[in-house]
Amino acid sequence: MSGTDTLTRGPIQDAMTDGLDCHGPRTAVVGGSGVLSYAELGERIHAAARGLRAALGGGVSRHVGFCLGNRPEYVILYFATLYAGALPLLLDANFNTGEIEAIRTDCGLDALVIERAKAAGLEVPGKGEPVPFGEEVVLLPLIPRGEPLFELRSATQVCRFTSGTTGRPKCLEFSGHAVVSAARNWVLGTGMTGEDRTLCLAALSNGLAFNTSLLSTFLAGGELHFLKGSPLTRPVARRIAESGITRLVAFPTLYRNFVAPGGPDPAAMASLRHAISAGAPLWPDVREEFRSRYGLDISDYYGIAETGPCTFERDAGHHSGLGEPLPGAEIRIAPGPDDPRGPEEVGEVLVRTASMASGYLNHPGLFEERVDAEGFYHSGDRGRLVDGRLHLVGRTQDHINVAGRKIDPTEIVAVVSALEGVEDAVAFPDEDLNREALVHLVVVASKAELTKAAVAEACRSRLAPYKVPGRISFVKEIPRTGIGKPRIAVLREQLNASAGS
Amino acid sequence: MNDDNLTAMKKRVQRLVYIAAGGKISEEELGHYDTDLRTIGLDSLGYLNLLEGLERTFGVAIDLDQEEDHSFLHTIDNIVRYLVVQRGEAA
Repeated sequence: MSGTDTLTRGPIQDAMTDGLDCHGPRTAVVGGSGVLSYAELGERIHAAARGLRAALGGGVSRHVGFCLGNRPEYVILYFATLYAGALPLLLDANFNTGEIEAIRTDCGLDALVIERAKAAGLEVPGKGEPVPFGEEVVLLPLIPRGEPLFELRSATQVCRFTSGTTGRPKCLEFSGHAVVSAARNWVLGTGMTGEDRTLCLAALSNGLAFNTSLLSTFLAGGELHFLKGSPLTRPVARRIAESGITRLVAFPTLYRNFVAPGGPDPAAMASLRHAISAGAPLWPDVREEFRSRYGLDISDYYGIAETGPCTFERDAGHHSGLGEPLPGAEIRIAPGPDDPRGPEEVGEVLVRTASMASGYLNHPGLFEERVDAEGFYHSGDRGRLVDGRLHLVGRTQDHINVAGRKIDPTEIVAVVSALEGVEDAVAFPDEDLNREALVHLVVVASKAELTKAAVAEACRSRLAPYKVPGRISFVKEIPRTGIGKPRIAVLREQLNASAGS
Repeated sequence: MNDDNLTAMKKRVQRLVYIAAGGKISEEELGHYDTDLRTIGLDSLGYLNLLEGLERTFGVAIDLDQEEDHSFLHTIDNIVRYLVVQRGEAA
């Protein structure tokens, strides 16, 4: 890439520059109405980096939040932010105003990369004049309100987020070396090549897409494709057929819709070599039906926000579990005192990778508490290793995983408990009729006037959409242990009994 | 399209919304065809399922990028009006 001498260097930029220089005329990004070669992508990144520097009024130490759906501009501006010497913070595009403000206070946000229409409607104080980048995307400067509460580690190059308590998403810091390691190990471990065309339907802010698609594609010299519009099976299948997509990065619901009656013709999927699913556990029957209909196994990727990618199934003929550890990843099982011992013992999954986060910027010490003396992260997942392959059997922690987003139930309970007339509340994981995970909120109300609609509305007004309970029940009392912990199993039985009566 | 056919279509869409939402919205809540589905809990995943269901059930292609105004998906009444137009069944 010409002119890189004036831009900021770092591990991610160096790796990307190598990719751009190596693969110049090849196609790099396809999405919206545009196709960019590696050379064109480099030029666009370079120009955007200069534009960002001008817009941000300086170079280094600027924090740029990405609140944007997948599109070529995301790729361009993400790398441009790095080349401009600024810090990209990859927000969930569904974060609400309160969550964005919390990040602004904790971590500092000097600007947001956001859709033009969304920028206009965003109600945050101190909005500057939007700077257009393309037709639909703007850089929205945010007037500084003093120093952020927490100080960044010096090696941090990228920040991503996981759900936090009381509306404060936890900000994970990643060094450039960690990000590059994740991408390189994904390329190596999954056999990604320059012939691969990846259609990425998972949000780039999510660890799955970030690690499997964003940098890894360009290190391998492949193509990264985005789909405009909703990820319905018809346009997805059409895109796979028209573009000769070899890798599909998606989520369980899409695969379920593929195998539902009336799903796409198998001929449309002929080019596909890897179908990767993550975010939530894939239903075994969907995996089986997909293999039967399309002749391809879905790789049920296992990654953790804090550690990056952990496993991948390389053997197309192996149909159970989550695969073997990727290069750079080590997995141990730590049985608890009550767990059976033996060759296939079950216990907490401990992970050590070359792509680990450095810590939580705005929750000092919390990450360190979960990393042992040997550098293994205690995932909170329970599982076992069978022939070197990881099989998950549950969780040791109370987080609720909804479509790949971990939700702390205490955040929901805190919102609901603040409502007048709520005496007690508890939230726990449940499933809807489609077997999708949801948050089930159970409330004890002292006022008969308190309705499900009122509780739901309170949640919708204070929580990101994915945290709003999918089911709300009222009970007279929540069974609790002697130390006040809710007895969820007993509560479930009571709710099932009352639903069946 | 006569009133009986319209009513039947609304009931089919009502059922599709119920399935798309995975039962999180009761059929009773869906009984008012002018209720904004977003306010009674149809989330983004539910809309994804609903769009799949509408395409497969009614044989229409719904391309949200081609539709500037997405209010046609906000109520069962609106969805049915949209389907009638898409299928060329307007009276």
